[in-house]
Amino acid sequence: MVAYRKLIVLMSLLAVLTSCEGIFGGIYDEPVTDQDSRFSHIEENADGKSGTIYVDAHAYDRWTYIDLHHKTIDTSNIVLGQSAPHDWDFALHRYDAKTNNGSVAETMLDNVNFIDGRFNFAELAFYADVDSHVVIDMSNMMSGTLEYAPSDVNPVLSRWMDVDLSQMPPIYTMSGRVYLAQFADSTLAALQFVNYMNESFAKGYITIRYRYPVNKVGKN
Amino acid sequence: MNAQQVLEGTVYNIEKVPLSGVTIKVQEDTTLVAITDNDGRYSLLLPSNNVSYTIVAHMFGMRISRWGMKSSEERLVHDFVLREKIQNLGTVVVTATRTPKLLMDVPMVTRVIDARDIQVSDAGTVQELLQVELPGIEFSYTMNQQVNLNMQGFGGNSVLFLVDGERLAGETMDNVDYARLTLENVERIEVVKGAASSLYGSNAVGGVVNLISSTINDPWTLSIGARYGSFNDGRYNGNFSFNCGKISSVTNAQYVHTDPIHLSDSGDIHNIYGTHSFNTKERLLFRINDRLKVNARAGYFFRERESAVVSHERYRDFSGGTKVDYAINDSSDISLSYSFDQYDKSDYACLSGADVRDYSNVQHSLRGIASHVHPTLGTLTAGGDAMRDYLMSYQFAAPGYHEQYTADAFMQWDWSVSEKLNVVTSFRYDYFSKANASHLSPKLNIMYKIDEVTLRATYANGFRAPTLKEMYMNFDMANIFMIYGNADLKPEVSNNANFSVEWNHNACHITTLAFYNYVENRITTMWNIARNGMVYDNMAPVNIYGVDFAASARWDNGIGARLSYVYTHESVDENGLNTSETRPHTATMRVDYRYAWRWGVSVIALNGRALSAVTSDVYTDLTDLTQHERQTYPGYVMWRLTANHTFKKGVKLTLTIDNLLGYKPEYYYSNSPATVGRTYAVGLSWNIEQAFEKSDED
Repeated sequence: MVAYRKLIVLMSLLAVLTSCEGIFGGIYDEPVTDQDSRFSHIEENADGKSGTIYVDAHAYDRWTYIDLHHKTIDTSNIVLGQSAPHDWDFALHRYDAKTNNGSVAETMLDNVNFIDGRFNFAELAFYADVDSHVVIDMSNMMSGTLEYAPSDVNPVLSRWMDVDLSQMPPIYTMSGRVYLAQFADSTLAALQFVNYMNESFAKGYITIRYRYPVNKVGKN
Repeated sequence: MNAQQVLEGTVYNIEKVPLSGVTIKVQEDTTLVAITDNDGRYSLLLPSNNVSYTIVAHMFGMRISRWGMKSSEERLVHDFVLREKIQNLGTVVVTATRTPKLLMDVPMVTRVIDARDIQVSDAGTVQELLQVELPGIEFSYTMNQQVNLNMQGFGGNSVLFLVDGERLAGETMDNVDYARLTLENVERIEVVKGAASSLYGSNAVGGVVNLISSTINDPWTLSIGARYGSFNDGRYNGNFSFNCGKISSVTNAQYVHTDPIHLSDSGDIHNIYGTHSFNTKERLLFRINDRLKVNARAGYFFRERESAVVSHERYRDFSGGTKVDYAINDSSDISLSYSFDQYDKSDYACLSGADVRDYSNVQHSLRGIASHVHPTLGTLTAGGDAMRDYLMSYQFAAPGYHEQYTADAFMQWDWSVSEKLNVVTSFRYDYFSKANASHLSPKLNIMYKIDEVTLRATYANGFRAPTLKEMYMNFDMANIFMIYGNADLKPEVSNNANFSVEWNHNACHITTLAFYNYVENRITTMWNIARNGMVYDNMAPVNIYGVDFAASARWDNGIGARLSYVYTHESVDENGLNTSETRPHTATMRVDYRYAWRWGVSVIALNGRALSAVTSDVYTDLTDLTQHERQTYPGYVMWRLTANHTFKKGVKLTLTIDNLLGYKPEYYYSNSPATVGRTYAVGLSWNIEQAFEKSDED
């Protein structure tokens, strides 16, 4: 009988130890609930010439403008017809990108810190923005209807992300390359897009490592 | 007193392994009998009267071996080599009736893939193994490159996968995580095609696949193995077991990794994601006394899929359980068990290192089962299960989880009316709290033997209750459309009838089975105009019928051959269209040659797999069911050549060339083989205890 009692105790213990909602929940990280507040700001490194840009670009009806001169971020609603802010250098709408009368070149580098005095700028080809359009409403995609709005888009800077919509869910592939953006005042910024999700794995939240200004001659 | 002659020797199998328990007898005088000991040795005393005798060696599951001799006064030594019967009809199987029965005596056709088949195929995954061994089984890709099963018209959620009779928690796109089903330490896989809900309840609509772990017989074993192939496909495993008195234990671990594979820039699938996984299991057995046994087990599984540069998908499983088997007397026994299984999914952010869980399926199950054998009325088996099913998912609306309780009771009567006629009938009643569904599943099997021919007929009912996911999903698909659950879903129900003829003659074994399934209320997603999204709903009835043929032979010269073929017709009537993607003709073939020589045992095997093309109606616009086109998915044939050699000290070398003829699809559909041509693999394993055994002899 002792053996039976031990068995019953053992089985009861197992049932108690394995809780109804499962075990080992502590090995996981908690989802971040205030995710939006972490985005739409610029963290500048101590050297004053580099840092990280966090952009909330998840909304289809919104452009988000980045001003690297003043380290500010602003937005405008496309559907409401809001105009762009006075000062901005480049802007993001989901994975579309445009510049403020600037141009962009794609490098073969895969780390923004490799942009230094030894980098050969002469072989780069810079491309200005072109007339295009962006999707502002995806809700009727399954009915074959996408709503677009006309907009300038920089075709080179927009290459940072390839979205393959032929499969569900779409496949997102980042180029991993460093882009050199030449702004209207001829200053240069090195931009590397390193993430397109926030900590809750929602897409459209973009992390960019930057160096600005980049000096064409000599080490930064 | 007459003088006597001593006849002695050893009985081996074809791989020179001594066989214990073999009966050695004299055909002319059945009172002269000996049984081989643990080392396969026998000794028989014969009258030395200068008479000719025929010495017969036989063992269940092996072919009889005879040797003619004339007795004298000399001491005589003769060794026997026994070869296995085809299809291993002496194997004890458990899946078809939930009680141990010889394969030749089960009333439902059961396909057994044993450890030797696994070794010969050199399959690394259960998907590879099932596809190479059985026709009518196709693993393809579905949304987000998740694995999807089609077994003769039934999908992953309609074929019940079990490990030692236990269900697996968790699913992705209606399929369990097949990567959990490692082939290490698997003694055999039993596949029962056809409905089996009268014993196994929900999900056993189209069949049951049961992986049976190996038993612990040796005092100790220790083995290590590594296999490396194209695309950095590496598999490394270790296994340790001991058996000392009342306690025995098996511990095994496996690590697997493979690089991404770029298929093509065009097609429905461009790349196969890289992955790595780790799986470890522990099984303990306490023999408290002759009547009471306690099993305990625990397992951990981890898989990481490199689906994007910035984030990976992680899958984990924690499992455990205990089972008590008690033999009340020689004719009655009872078994009580508790099982825990938790399957988690999480997203891992490569930059920040955050690992956030967004899915967890936790199942607690209690089971009791008792059986009683009556000398004339047969075997009565009865039991019941209770389960708590908890599901937390990112696909649910707040609060993000649902739970339900299920309960069932079942009973089976297995009656051997005569030596030739066996009748098995069973019933099971299942209740699901959240689905508010209940179902009664009956089954009737009749088996009749006429010499070398066995006839089997079955009617069985299968069902699948709506899952929590199907009832409560509320998921935004990439900001493009919503997928909604449906709490009013009816259970899927199948009525299955089949009839088979099996013929066994010496080296040959042939089985032909005709089957028919009528499936009502199959659950799927359909576009709902009013809700502007996909909604789970019940389909119109589906008819599935066909023929399953298998023939195999093995000859004394070491050559074996097997051919299996399945014809399946699945008629899925959706608005006048047939959307079935089940291939009508599939076949698997194998030719192997086994040779035992002074350096060990060599085996070379050629496995083939042929699938016909299938033409299906495909919707081109999910929101407008009038928009469709005919799509033909091409057929293909793939061959796999394996060669292995087992040296005498337990070292085994395996070489494999897969996709021998270098087949490469012109366009990669979701059901195209994920291959870019010929691949190679080399494996090395060592059963270390065999080296020690040899040393002892020395």
